[in-house]
Amino acid sequence: MTTKQKVIKINKSVKFLLLFTLLFGINNLLSAEGGPCKDYGDCDKFKYSLNDMESLQSGASTFLNYCYGCHSLQYSRWGRIAKDLQIPEDIFFENLVFDKSIKAGDLMTGAMPKDESAQWFGVAPPDLTLVSRVRGDDWLYSYLRTYYEDSSKQYGVNNLVYPGTAMPNVLAALQGNQKLICKNIPIIAKNGGEKRDSEGNALTKEKCGFLQVEEGTGSLNKEDFDKVIYDLTNFLVYVGEPSKASRERIGWYVIFYFLIFTALSALLYREYHKDYH
Amino acid sequence: MNGVVGKMFGWFNNRLPVANTFERHLSKHPVPSKVNFWYLFGALAAVVLIIQIISGIWLIMPYSNTEEQAFSSIEYIMRDVDYGWVIRYIHTTGASMFFAVVYLHMFRGLLYGSYQKPKELVWVFGCAIYLAMMAEGFLGYVLPYGQMSYWGAQVIISLFGAIPYIGESLEIWVRGDYYISGITVSRFFALHVVALPLVLIALVFLHLIALHEVGAGNPEGVDIEKYLDEDGVPLDSVPFFPYKVLNALVGIGVFMTVFAIIMFFFPEGGGYFIEMANFEEANPLVTPEHIAPVWYYSPYYAMLRAVPDKLGGLIIMGSAVAILFVVPWLDNSKAASIRYKGVYSKVALALFGISFLTLGYLGTVGVTEVRKTMSIICTFIYFAFFILMPIYTKFEKTKKVPERL
Ligand code: HEC
Ligand code: HEM
Repeated sequence: MTTKQKVIKINKSVKFLLLFTLLFGINNLLSAEGGPCKDYGDCDKFKYSLNDMESLQSGASTFLNYCYGCHSLQYSRWGRIAKDLQIPEDIFFENLVFDKSIKAGDLMTGAMPKDESAQWFGVAPPDLTLVSRVRGDDWLYSYLRTYYEDSSKQYGVNNLVYPGTAMPNVLAALQGNQKLICKNIPIIAKNGGEKRDSEGNALTKEKCGFLQVEEGTGSLNKEDFDKVIYDLTNFLVYVGEPSKASRERIGWYVIFYFLIFTALSALLYREYHKDYH
Repeated sequence: MNGVVGKMFGWFNNRLPVANTFERHLSKHPVPSKVNFWYLFGALAAVVLIIQIISGIWLIMPYSNTEEQAFSSIEYIMRDVDYGWVIRYIHTTGASMFFAVVYLHMFRGLLYGSYQKPKELVWVFGCAIYLAMMAEGFLGYVLPYGQMSYWGAQVIISLFGAIPYIGESLEIWVRGDYYISGITVSRFFALHVVALPLVLIALVFLHLIALHEVGAGNPEGVDIEKYLDEDGVPLDSVPFFPYKVLNALVGIGVFMTVFAIIMFFFPEGGGYFIEMANFEEANPLVTPEHIAPVWYYSPYYAMLRAVPDKLGGLIIMGSAVAILFVVPWLDNSKAASIRYKGVYSKVALALFGISFLTLGYLGTVGVTEVRKTMSIICTFIYFAFFILMPIYTKFEKTKKVPERL
């Protein structure tokens, strides 16, 4: 490469960089939409672990015990879940399937007639097979943990992520009574430190909208409850795409195969071009 | 050649131009000896076309084109059909990759003036392919019958209603119903799996025949036909087979690696390849909060929204595609390649590229005042690039194009 060519190359990359900064700048300038988690702000991050069978099994158990009464998983089959989560079929049907007429190949169409439930709640509880793909994992993980007491609502609860949700807080017995509280928080000065008055006491201001569980009202502490929701969300991510774990496993082999393919064809190409000139 | 195989070959060759075709289009077909990576995307587009056809055939088998079962049959494919998810993700990823590759292929055309004489027809067939692809993609997107299938189709089909006099009846004629319904799905299915693929294959065939007749270009814009050896073969050429085939093979390897990364690790493409709302079954009673097309249509969607009037929007959108067809007759430059064109062409192409990408971004997000203004500006630049082309290519100073590659 001559120096001139090099200069042109560098020139080109500079142009590309400029273009990208421009686009991203515009992006930031213009993004004015509210977060997907509404009153909660940014959703909490969720990282699935689809090879953690214990977590998936615990999630399945929570779902079938606490949620399946209202929500179906209509595209999913009973036997598939038992197989994928490595639960022996007899144990699975013995402990988790309450309707004894159900067979392994049946779809999980729900335990509640649709029109009846719509009468009870105003909206029929939606099918949840694909909820993790429609709403996203983060949304789901946040939604199930942000119920709070609100006496103005039908069930005495509201939700930060889904304000005005028609679903009662079905896990309240585990979590306890969660309330919105106000807190005095330190005022942060422009330089990033805490603001203090002349005597050196930290200045505070009141800020509201924090979630806090009333001590002793639930059967689980915060950590254990978060774990229950983690497992439940993990299970719903699995149900949303049962082949996701195998997809990511097989993917590595396919990529490896194409890398080899590329390398071999590059060698062959070089070999032929040596002859030609 | 002798023996049984040789005899059989001879038998066929006397009745079908086997050897002749092989020589004419492959082993003796001369192609420029020096081209760069931009010249790979045509081959890659052909690869994706084949991938789409094969994966599509497999998808047709378990797919159901009825209102009741369209959505659930997709979930059936994803869950109950052995490796059904592989087939479906190949097809969804393939759709996006098809457009990505073709957009790059078209940009190459603008960059190196590949549409210039005598390759006008190659370009025009290309534009027809692009138009057919847009229709094919739209029809296919309706088939899973998710929320975005339904409401996206609703928006696009209602555009027909903006045409004066015949609009309303045309709209109903296209849908086959007063609303989008199972009737719409089943006719779109027929068009998506039979009619348009036939059109596409025919057009690609014509595209390639026309190209082989006039010979492929190169990034320098050098006419290699000027200097021939004693057999009449251009000095600056190599035979297509095996040299260019091997070159393409390396490109295909890299491309398939990228394809596999997306398909196995990011099949939804962050909501741009498969939109999240499309995991919810179509519901005529609930409008999604935010209707956005898939990424490859979004520049045109941004143009549509930049115009307040529906008919005006339709005309702008249509013209944006239509104007591509006449590009060979807009460029007055003596040089084909951007390397030897003048500064006006360079600035124009850069501005065009930036506004097309910006429009693409704007088409995927909600509308605000600022964004609307930007869409209008970018739409102007898009059209100015073409409309002013006869002027800026005529009056700019070009560099001298070399004689040899
Ligand atoms: C008593 C019946 C009932 C039970 C039990 C129940 N839900 Fe719900 N759920 C509902 C109703 C009703 C809605 C509809 C809320 C709305 O749209 O306002 C809903 C909505 C949801 C949604 C939002 C879906 C969406 O996309 O809008 C999620 C997620 C959800 N439920 C998860 C769960 C989980 C997880 C459990 C088990 C821990 C559960 N539900 C138990 C009645 C129930
Ligand atoms: C299914 C889609 C398409 C396929 C399979 C395809 C295939 C090809 C192939 C194999 C080549 C030769 C290799 C190359 O130059 O990259 C080519 C060249 C070309 N294509 Fe396409 N193409 C497609 C779409 C388009 C479109 C949409 C356009 C433009 C609107 C276009 C314009 C051109 C031009 C101008 C050339 C000549 C390039 C040159 O020789 O300098 N093609 N195409």
